[in-house]
Amino acid sequence: MAAARPANPVFATTRGGSDPRTASDWSQREVLASNGRALIGRAYPRIRGMAREPSWVFFEILLPFLTTSAFVLVYRALQAPEAYVGFVVLGGAMAAFWLNVVWMMASQLYWEKSQGNLELYFAAPMNLMSILLGMALGGLVMSSTRAAAILVVSTLVYNVTFNVEQWGLVVVVFALTLTALYGLGMILASVFLLWGREAFHMTQLVIEPVYFVSGLNFPVGRLGALGAIAIATIPFAVGLDAMRQLVFAGQPYITGTPSPEVEALILAAMTVVFGLLARWMIRRIERMARSRGSLSIRWQ
Amino acid sequence: MAVTGGAIPGAGLVFDPAPFDPGRAEGDGVADTGRSLRTALLLGWRVESNWTDPLLFLIYVVAKPIASLLLLVMMIEIIGAGGTGQSDETVRTYVVLGSALWATLVAGISGPAWTVLEDRERYRMLKYLYVSPATFLVLLVGRGAARLGAGAIGTVVALVFSVIVLGLRVDVTAIEWPLLVVSLVLGLVPILAIGVLLAAVCLQTRQESWSYPEAFAGAMFLVTGVVFPLGVLPAPLQWLGLVNPVTWWIEGVRQAVLPGSPSGIGGAASVWTAVTGTPAPDGATIVLALFVTGALATLAATVIFRRSEHRARDLGLLDRTTGS
Repeated sequence: MAAARPANPVFATTRGGSDPRTASDWSQREVLASNGRALIGRAYPRIRGMAREPSWVFFEILLPFLTTSAFVLVYRALQAPEAYVGFVVLGGAMAAFWLNVVWMMASQLYWEKSQGNLELYFAAPMNLMSILLGMALGGLVMSSTRAAAILVVSTLVYNVTFNVEQWGLVVVVFALTLTALYGLGMILASVFLLWGREAFHMTQLVIEPVYFVSGLNFPVGRLGALGAIAIATIPFAVGLDAMRQLVFAGQPYITGTPSPEVEALILAAMTVVFGLLARWMIRRIERMARSRGSLSIRWQ
Repeated sequence: MAVTGGAIPGAGLVFDPAPFDPGRAEGDGVADTGRSLRTALLLGWRVESNWTDPLLFLIYVVAKPIASLLLLVMMIEIIGAGGTGQSDETVRTYVVLGSALWATLVAGISGPAWTVLEDRERYRMLKYLYVSPATFLVLLVGRGAARLGAGAIGTVVALVFSVIVLGLRVDVTAIEWPLLVVSLVLGLVPILAIGVLLAAVCLQTRQESWSYPEAFAGAMFLVTGVVFPLGVLPAPLQWLGLVNPVTWWIEGVRQAVLPGSPSGIGGAASVWTAVTGTPAPDGATIVLALFVTGALATLAATVIFRRSEHRARDLGLLDRTTGS
């Protein structure tokens, strides 16, 4: 009879087992704790980084405020009703989230691949979804700061008047917009990873065209069928329109789109669909990475 | 004095006995610079276009400027231009031309900055480029010029789209070609200079600086008379616009392509009219102002870039990678 192998002291003390097989049999609590740590670990550099390099305040708050101001002045030059100034300001604030999704969610896995971190993610004992959620959480904090700054400064400078009648629904719609947006960001992260170098061009491609079809500076209902398609498919479009209807209640210029309640339901459906799709895609990516061994090759 | 070869005692190594010619390290001056620029330009173009699916590249070049254009045109369509005292068509033409030119500007100022970020963070080549015999600044300008070329394609496509779809009327026989050519050529230099300035910023900042060029361009959108005349702005911002070469570049091209169109610089409530007493600058003034402001911007960008480069070398920033 073969002599029993001596217990590995590392496994015995840290993982409660005597060999790698037993040690890898994690309880549900251990799995959750590991994924929770991964999530926090991935969000940490984004949140902490804000304090480490303050140049972002100039480039991501002051300059976008000036961009928003340019569109405000276009409306002022055209002598548009003051409500449109409010539409631009809200659009400018919400654009911070879309830019964050495109630059720091969709492109991120591809950049991680280029930097050599992606293979570490695949090898680490955690679900890749927790990495994506961590990126989303950190990105949310970053873009919320920017959005809030643009909103507050623009509101004060341009005297924007809000008229909110349903605060509860505003909060719900805002939260659903963010979950749907970042869910879409997780899907795009997987897709961009597969597309490789072309991901960068795709990043460029989904900024201005999405701004236009989502009605960044005007009510999306004015785009007719194109606006309807945008509301059915792009969380930025439906979220922005719902927010406009809620915070500028009673404005006659917002027409031709579903009510905020219906748009909240659309956002909820998008959140579920995008979340499930992102989970499915990231599993496919992980399987491909392991079987082909090509996804972690840099600069492809 | 020529340096001769020799041997390392005890190591068994022998130098090449041929005398070292210091002249070889000095290169061929202008010829080398031209060769570096050509190589960087070609590399930049290949990075932009050949490494991607041609259809995707075409969509990318076309979709971005057209979407930007439509965003503004839609604003005019919804509100109408009645409040400006001009016809809808005049205002639309003014906005379309400014917005189309903006595609070239954004691409031009993004090029050098993104080259720094790409080669440092993604391809990890920046340090090797830096120690190569080619001048770093020349390489950046070359790569930036390639991206500017892609942006110029976007401008042309946006203009063709405007003529065919939006009904923009351009009388080719009325175009002031000398003013157009001089403005275009003179304007491209300060655009690349602003790109170099942003490259200097990106040498110091982290990976997330990808969006900085667009943010910077967005801020310039406010003060350069692209889609509304400077007269709409408060006086201090108008002065900021008047010392910006981009303002004169856009004005020059606009007055050349659409002679007699409303001025983005002069007019009611404008600082220009208040100071000079003229309703708008003429062609010669535009060219002179573009030349002077462009030269100053280029000089300032070069000085700032040199300081940034020195600091980056000092702090070891040329081969760092960041992430968040």
